[in-house]
Amino acid sequence: MNPVTRISPISDAQAGMLTTPGTLTDLGHQIAATAVLGAPGRSHRRLAGRGATRRKLIIGVPAAGALAVAGLIAASLGSPGQKVGPVAIGPARAQAAVLSVTRHGGYLDVIVTNPLADARKYREEFARLGLNITLTLVPASPSLVGTLVYAATPSSIQPITAVGKCWTGGGGSVCPVGVRVPLDFKGSAQLTFGRPARPGERYETTAPVTAKGEAMHGMTFVGKTATVVISMLAARHVTVGDYWFQNARCEGVNTTRSMPGSWYVTGANPWAPGQVSLQVSKTWPARTCLGVATPVRPAPSPSPSPAA
Amino acid sequence: MPSPPGAPADDRRRRFDELYAANQHQVLGYLLRRTDNTDDAADVFAETFLIAWRRLDDLPVGQQARMWLYGTARRTLANYRRGERRRSALADRLRADLAHAYLAHAYQPPEFEGEMAEISSAFRRLPEPDRELLALVAWEGLDHGQLAAVLGCSRNAARIRLHRARRKLADELLSSQRRRSSPPHAHAYLTNGDIA
Repeated sequence: MNPVTRISPISDAQAGMLTTPGTLTDLGHQIAATAVLGAPGRSHRRLAGRGATRRKLIIGVPAAGALAVAGLIAASLGSPGQKVGPVAIGPARAQAAVLSVTRHGGYLDVIVTNPLADARKYREEFARLGLNITLTLVPASPSLVGTLVYAATPSSIQPITAVGKCWTGGGGSVCPVGVRVPLDFKGSAQLTFGRPARPGERYETTAPVTAKGEAMHGMTFVGKTATVVISMLAARHVTVGDYWFQNARCEGVNTTRSMPGSWYVTGANPWAPGQVSLQVSKTWPARTCLGVATPVRPAPSPSPSPAA
Repeated sequence: MPSPPGAPADDRRRRFDELYAANQHQVLGYLLRRTDNTDDAADVFAETFLIAWRRLDDLPVGQQARMWLYGTARRTLANYRRGERRRSALADRLRADLAHAYLAHAYQPPEFEGEMAEISSAFRRLPEPDRELLALVAWEGLDHGQLAAVLGCSRNAARIRLHRARRKLADELLSSQRRRSSPPHAHAYLTNGDIA
């Protein structure tokens, strides 16, 4: 018998049995429910520049101090021409709302306006509106804060995109900031928005580190030594939270300890507020592990969005 | 707006459902054989199929689709290890399931003893690309052409690299056995061509 076969950690069948019934099936349905840019039957709307004559129902939380994110979401009528969401600003009282729900004919436009709020409040509010929508927030690198990171929704729910809300390496600046839900929506949906990370909290979703708004925006650093790059980062009050390098066996190793300053920086990622993760190599050009294709970004668009 | 029945969108969905049903356990197994971090396995699983869903029109058909999924899972896992994150609530339930299975000891990375420990140790001493080649053959059951598809190289290159990886494993086994000065089994593996 092939000796490596004998040390297989787990079989496919065993792997499948680790999940509770329905988990994988439901995940497949959720994935297939995410929007695909350019897919048949899909349309994408820009938030800015929409018709200005419709009456819009604004549902939001008036601010009563910085932490006023209490669950009560008051309904009020917006003025004609008012734009909603983080791109354009509604009336003063709506600015600090946790959630902006704007009615357009048979639809509700849902946009998170305060990504710092307690996710439970959103859930309660969706329930109050009779919508089975779960909204969660994950710590995101700066350019993804307030944007829709993931949406597991039926095709009847459409993403709303806005220009300039986030910046992606390949996708430009058109980013999803909310969803348009039919008023008679009866299904269930799961939305995940990016929120700011707390000090020291690691990002769970990241944009390219050189994107606008990110720690190394506009910086040219690949091929420079760690000493040089650390000094460039220090000028921006950014530190290195993590290093990644390939050891002699071509294994990727993450470490928080300092690496030799003479090593070369081959890449970087956002890590936590004020921190980046640097990929370093003892040699330049970096040694490639021949025999296997070098890992590359798998998707053409780095924006972790449903419209990407 | 929803597409009418029979529209391309429905066909797309049907193709994805078939792809997912035929490969979900294989991709999860692939990931759990490569990482002890069940959170990463769950996230990369979701990310892999999300990429597949978005790029469905570019995917090869039939058995080759699984190779595409293995290759995508491999690259995505490598990116995770380098610090890129694509965490989403999509994978929350799977994360919880795997973490629970881990805590409940339904799944623990195995600890080998005796000869198996020796093989495991020799295997772990190999460079990662060699380990991946050997594992893809032994654990996923791939042939040369399939290896080439996963790794993005020619069939001939895959064959040569696999041969070298097998030789390296045999050398590792031989040297560890020489250290123990016990009758080796590595030589037998090498000569009968049955290794990895």
